[in-house]
Amino acid sequence: MPVESGPILVVSSVSKRFGGLLALDSVSFEVQPGEIFSVIGPNGAGKTTLFSCMVGAVTPSSGSVRFLGEELAGLRNDQIVVRGLVRTHQIVKPFRDMTVADNIRVGVLYGRLRLRGAKARERVDEVLSRTELGHRAGVRAGVLSIGELKRLEIARALATGPAVLCLDEVMGGLNPAEIQQAMALVRALRDGGLTILMIEHHVHAVAGLSDRLVVLNFGKKIAEGRPAEALRDPAVVAAYLGDETEVRV
Amino acid sequence: MTALLRRHPLLPLGVLFGAFLLLAPTFTGRGTQNDLWNMAFFVVLAAAWNLLGGFAGQVSLGYSAFVGIGAYTTVLLSKAGWSPWLTLPVGAALAVAFSVAVGLPTFRLRGPYFTIATIGVGEAVRVIASGLEFTGGSSGLRMPAGTFDFLANYYAMVGLALATLVLVAWLTQHAFGLALEAIRQDIDGAEALGVHSTQVKLQAHAISSALVALAGGLFATNFQYISPGSVFDFRLSLTIVLMPIIGGMGTLTGPVLGAMLFSILQIKLLASPALRDSYLFIYGGLLIVVMLFEPRGIMGLLERLWTRLARRQVPAVAESPGAG
Repeated sequence: MPVESGPILVVSSVSKRFGGLLALDSVSFEVQPGEIFSVIGPNGAGKTTLFSCMVGAVTPSSGSVRFLGEELAGLRNDQIVVRGLVRTHQIVKPFRDMTVADNIRVGVLYGRLRLRGAKARERVDEVLSRTELGHRAGVRAGVLSIGELKRLEIARALATGPAVLCLDEVMGGLNPAEIQQAMALVRALRDGGLTILMIEHHVHAVAGLSDRLVVLNFGKKIAEGRPAEALRDPAVVAAYLGDETEVRV
Repeated sequence: MTALLRRHPLLPLGVLFGAFLLLAPTFTGRGTQNDLWNMAFFVVLAAAWNLLGGFAGQVSLGYSAFVGIGAYTTVLLSKAGWSPWLTLPVGAALAVAFSVAVGLPTFRLRGPYFTIATIGVGEAVRVIASGLEFTGGSSGLRMPAGTFDFLANYYAMVGLALATLVLVAWLTQHAFGLALEAIRQDIDGAEALGVHSTQVKLQAHAISSALVALAGGLFATNFQYISPGSVFDFRLSLTIVLMPIIGGMGTLTGPVLGAMLFSILQIKLLASPALRDSYLFIYGGLLIVVMLFEPRGIMGLLERLWTRLARRQVPAVAESPGAG
């Protein structure tokens, strides 16, 4: 853990407009080092757009993202990755014709660590074993199962050597056993010193893992706090279940 | 050594063929040497283009521009009194500068949009070269007398072809090659892992354009006369693209096979007046066959044959202990 106690990531008034649609409406929050911090909300709430804005894959219309004290506005995705802020993709993006090990090697060679030679090989092996993909190292990524692809997505991001790892729906499409496995992995990564941001639909996982969370609805932050309190907030319940007037009609 | 052989099973064949090319002048006639020179020229073009087009998946249809830049630099500087050999690095440097100037705007485009933009660039260069006075306009330029030395040019072209293949093999075995591969398979995914895609594409473009310009310079010395219609021709750009596609894109050996096939075709077609004007028709037909039946080209075809042969042999080996 860093000695200074300030937030590692500060998102202030980030907005993103796609034509007439305001996908993100002045969203702000802070993430402390070593936290597991979740972003939840119904479909279309702007969660993935938020991640894309943070890592520079999409340019925010306004607002600022500060990471380790540095303003990220105007930096490209790869520049932000090299600084240690990395995201996974909900729709996994493996290099399908590469082996699992080579997929991970790209992150080792070009991420924040930029390792070469024997050190790079060690790091690839370390990531393979942490994500339990060692037995699939030489296999073409295109033939993996969805559970393995989700783990590979985490492995690739992990390979770059991030300080903050943003996980976009890594438990979507997994069976209960795989969800337990994924939750254990996320906890182990945090215990290893990483700060974790998660977008997650799986409420059990969110409640069980997160230290704090924010709730988005139609691009706006509608609640923030510890999972037990925030999930009981009337605005959050209404966002997920619809409010009573709608139900009666 | 064994690891190298496992990665490149055709390596011994390649070394043998390289040795044959280097020794060919001692036991072949001038006609054969001319054909071999032509093949080596095509190998350079195809293998260099393949670095950006095959490995990184950025299909450029403007590579005749680099042949032309190399060729025109050699002729213009030779006319100014330079030794033709000393003009080669200048041509390569100008090609690199041009590749960056063109790459910066066009690499913002993806897929077919990039390809279309490169057609425009290639054609623009041809039109400019045809219109300028110091490039001799559309009638072209002649090399100064006394610069012709076939044998030296032959060794230089064969050496350049072998060096190109070694360089491409080396680059693609290292981090750079993995980045090219990542960009081809998923450019957003590559950037999300820290790959500066534009920089990597510019580097690949620069390396391949330098190699193509060197070949262009040697072309000018060997043919002693160049014009926009010969070195800036769109058909040349098209040939450069078709060779790796038909041979097998993104492989080391594919472009070599494509170049061999094309140089043989060209020699046969140019020799028969009836077919001379129809070679584009035949190339087009070949391209359709490749796209329909084996998108990975000749290399894919060989691989399929190889696995079929291997599969036929495996049961025989597995059965023998039971039989005995």
